[in-house]
Amino acid sequence: MTASAAIGRHVGLAPGLLAGERGAVARAISQIEQGAPGAAALHAALGSHLGRAHVIGITGAPGAGKSTLVHALLGELLARGHRVGVVAVDPSSPISGGAVLGDRVRMGTHGAHPDVFIRSVASRGHPGGLSRTTVGIVDVFDAAGFDTVIVETVGAGQSEVEIMRVADTRIVVCPPGLGDDVQAIKAGILEIADLLAVTKSDLPGAQATARELRDMLHLRAAHPGQEWQVAVICTSATTGDGVAALLDRALAHATVAGRGRRLGARPARPPGHGHDEALARVMGLAAADPFVRALGITCTDAGPGSATVAMTLGPEHLNFNGSCHGGVVFALADTAFGLAANSHGSVAAGIDAHITYQQAAQAGDRLVARAFEVSRSRKLGVYRVDVTRGDGRPISSFTGTVYVTRNAHARAEPHGAQDEAAAQRAAPASPSKA
Amino acid sequence: MNKPIDGALLTPGDPHALWQQEYAAQIGTDRAVVNRSGIPVKPLYTQSDWPAGAPADTALGMPGQPPYTRGIYATMHRGRTWTQRQLTGLGTPEEYNARLLDVLAQGATAVSLIPCNSVFRGVDMDESHIELLGTCGTVVNTAAHMDRALQGVDLAQTSCAMNDPSPFTLLAFMLAAAKKRGTDWRQVSGTSNQSDYLSHYVANHMFFRIALPGARRILGDHIEFCNRHVPKWNPMSVVGQHMQQAGATPAEAMAFTLSSAIQNAEDCIARGMDPDQFLPRFTFFFDISISFFEEVAKFRAARRIWARVTRERLGAKDPRAWRFKFHAQTSGVDLTRQQPLNNIARVTVQAMAGILGGLQSLHTDAYDEALSCPSEFGARIAVATQNILREEAHLTDVIDPLGGSFYVETLTDQMQLEIERVMAIVEDAGGMFKAVQGGLVQRMIGESARRFQSKVDSGEQTVVGVNAYPVEEDRSARPINARPDRAAMQAHLDAFRAYKAARSAADVQRALDQLARAAGDTRDNIFGRVVEAAEAGCTHGEICATLRRELGFGHVQAIV
Amino acid sequence: MSQAREPGAAGSPSVTGRRPKGAGMTEAPIPKVLVTKIGFDGHDRGSRIVAAALRDAGMEVIYTPPWQEIAAVVKLATEEDVDVIGISSLATDHLIVPKLMDALREAGLADTAVIVGGIVPDEDEQMLLDAGVARVFHPGSPLAAITEYVRDITPAIRARRATPTDIAGERR
Repeated sequence: MTASAAIGRHVGLAPGLLAGERGAVARAISQIEQGAPGAAALHAALGSHLGRAHVIGITGAPGAGKSTLVHALLGELLARGHRVGVVAVDPSSPISGGAVLGDRVRMGTHGAHPDVFIRSVASRGHPGGLSRTTVGIVDVFDAAGFDTVIVETVGAGQSEVEIMRVADTRIVVCPPGLGDDVQAIKAGILEIADLLAVTKSDLPGAQATARELRDMLHLRAAHPGQEWQVAVICTSATTGDGVAALLDRALAHATVAGRGRRLGARPARPPGHGHDEALARVMGLAAADPFVRALGITCTDAGPGSATVAMTLGPEHLNFNGSCHGGVVFALADTAFGLAANSHGSVAAGIDAHITYQQAAQAGDRLVARAFEVSRSRKLGVYRVDVTRGDGRPISSFTGTVYVTRNAHARAEPHGAQDEAAAQRAAPASPSKA
Repeated sequence: MNKPIDGALLTPGDPHALWQQEYAAQIGTDRAVVNRSGIPVKPLYTQSDWPAGAPADTALGMPGQPPYTRGIYATMHRGRTWTQRQLTGLGTPEEYNARLLDVLAQGATAVSLIPCNSVFRGVDMDESHIELLGTCGTVVNTAAHMDRALQGVDLAQTSCAMNDPSPFTLLAFMLAAAKKRGTDWRQVSGTSNQSDYLSHYVANHMFFRIALPGARRILGDHIEFCNRHVPKWNPMSVVGQHMQQAGATPAEAMAFTLSSAIQNAEDCIARGMDPDQFLPRFTFFFDISISFFEEVAKFRAARRIWARVTRERLGAKDPRAWRFKFHAQTSGVDLTRQQPLNNIARVTVQAMAGILGGLQSLHTDAYDEALSCPSEFGARIAVATQNILREEAHLTDVIDPLGGSFYVETLTDQMQLEIERVMAIVEDAGGMFKAVQGGLVQRMIGESARRFQSKVDSGEQTVVGVNAYPVEEDRSARPINARPDRAAMQAHLDAFRAYKAARSAADVQRALDQLARAAGDTRDNIFGRVVEAAEAGCTHGEICATLRRELGFGHVQAIV
Repeated sequence: MSQAREPGAAGSPSVTGRRPKGAGMTEAPIPKVLVTKIGFDGHDRGSRIVAAALRDAGMEVIYTPPWQEIAAVVKLATEEDVDVIGISSLATDHLIVPKLMDALREAGLADTAVIVGGIVPDEDEQMLLDAGVARVFHPGSPLAAITEYVRDITPAIRARRATPTDIAGERR
């Protein structure tokens, strides 16, 4: 099937999705999860329907009581007449790559309520407790008309940037009785929390933990002009105490910070640039890149700020240990990075890049690199690239920064018809160019 | 032979060392053997293994004397044979009654009623899929149903076990039926089989779930009520069967069970009850796996541990309170679907292990347990098996016949240590209630289950007919399932609806309101109100729904 | 540059996360499987073991406790867009599986495969297959047989849902 036909079919889900039809919402989420061709197009088609839902991120260490709290919040939200979508992220096994997605069940009986929609997602090696596709899934719920979207993730060491793209209001859940550990975990948590919930408040130690957290918040002087004061709320799922109060605060936060705040953390799309134009541009750039051709890399999807490339490993790509040469993986990730960074039409040059290798790849493997834009300002852009094997197993994580020049790309031309200068302008960024 | 061995025939030197040499030379590649509880098993045990200088409470002792290693009674099975208590249940009360009288005529000496799974779930038959009614147990929803189910059974003479967890409505129905017949409750004997809410929460999960704290309260009330009004009744049946069937090793299952018993006993003491009064009415219920010697040792070790715990930890002074009384059931988990008749041999070995382990009451599985709910044909063989073991193999002639065996005594000591090790883990977690609430027990059981499964998958543990010695089977030789008579069940359902329409709605409502109030008042006895509700004509589902509403509905933790 | 060797798959050699390699390879989708119990039975040792085996084989498993209502299973399968529903049945709960099949068809989930594992008398197996159950696994079935079956049928299920999962498919 052709790329445009695939895109057309996926975008065809949009009407049912926008009407909130359960099956259409589920299938749209699947396509985004599976990274199907045209998923980016579908995601882009939702663009003007975003910003109505209030997205609440709930995170905390395993055992803190997140799922129980989500269950209690669901009850409260349903009582207030909300339609709620839940994204429950569970970690994938680093050994097998599989996962048992148990959050949904821990959320209890509300899962059967018609106004609740729960989607369980495996992290698939994506760091920080989220999955690569969380943003897209949340956007689907938003566009489908859900009033509130809850994202439940594991782990408290998220990068601030990641969670900012996902949630409007961020609640960090702490179990009681941490004692000295309070000091230890505070480092990352206080940075990202809008609200702190101390669970199991019917147990001894909860009040003490809440006091310690409030003390720590006091010590961190509020920034001048900061509108929101982080609050610590004690909750108990067994007695129900504190749950309504927590929800009230979260809603208050939405009023102060604005629903759809998370969307502001994404790069604004320059007016007039559509998705198809970006796709066409990127395809052209890839076709004009001699090194990409030499490695056998193909670009399979792209959009404003995103690109997906793939290659199949042959024996010429191996190192002396018989597994894939790290430079090949780097080249693949860097290609996706460069294409994504150049997709907006300005020439972007790479100035910094880091890569981590998670697993070895072998001859015959098909590797896929997906780049997405973490942030973009007038001068700088930051991108993240995930490299996975065909079965979803994570191979590598890459981040890169570009410097955005004032030059625009030439209109995309078929490969082979360019002069040297045009080829230089259109070439994707690489670390050797400054 | 009793004649002394002629000294000239003895080989010179140390005979044990000589045997070790010969064994090593002849065995070829020896295999390391470890039993299900993880204890290594040697090829030979001698005086050098046992007695091993163990501390005082592992002394062998005499039957009927602490630490009861050899048995809790002086006469054991020679004086009174074990109770043949076959779990039975199918279809309508009338169908159950027919099967029950048949089984009693065949030699069973006590009644055990298994209700339909719908009853376990706490719903009445008019709230269930009709396809599932009565397939694995009897549909009893009212006192009248119970009366019909036990027609022809003298409740003052026959011990009856009701397999029914919180809030024990089946016993309530039975007491209501007894009152109607004019039978004095003080004559009624039997057991609230599997009344242990903790084991149901951890594994098997067969009963409907009242949240843990609520279940704990109801059990306490139940024990108090029975001790006062039905003194021959055993309200506390602490269960090890579910956990072992779910994959716990025999030592783990015993450890968790003893820990549960301690938890329940301490709850009773906290209510002001006297251990010398309630402990004699504590009974236990265990699985017997086919690991023959391990099971015998497990039970012998348990008697020692319980004797010490009741005296030292729970403060009981009456020797009757130190006795470890238990019912055991041969393990269905060891049975196979392939070549089902082989299961008769398996059940025989399991039953022998339980008998030689000193049980007080035994249920033997039917051979077709793994194919479906057991047939009448299979049930008869199961009862006959017990008769053969007692009367042909004469297993009752000698008390604790394996006592003194170097292997069995060594293994008893080792099992005791392993059981105590696991009990200490539960203790560290704050006791059984907390350990279960936190999921610790469930995780340990899951680990053991996985370990065992991988042994079967790899072939290290042979299962005849499954991963070894497979045979092309003639499927037509397998018994066809007895399904409950659909017409009879429909008639039962219609009659039930008519009954509900005809009874006094006011009486019913009053009783249920009283029950709901009791749930909120710790001075009231919930089980007492359940009995009153049964007498007022309330149904099982109504009673359960009321308590579920008041006390909360617990959820099984899904731990993989 | 050298990289670390890939860690070995957990469990027995037959339960592995590796997919078979061959010429003309396509990307194998990661199956999403629901393991659940309907009806009244509560024994879940078998379903837990199967859920763990599926996870160890690299699949994503939603595992529920027993006693799920049929309507709840259909809602879950819809929202989670699972490829396969695994029903564990030990008592006679398999007798209401046909009702589940009807409910799935009504909800537009006819493409979702349903497999039944546990104690199913021989005379009922055909009845289940006629009702649309894809396969019945009896006690003693090796775990690898179940995981491989799920892995084998998933690509066709995805294809039938008209969702191309093969990114390379665009290039054909």
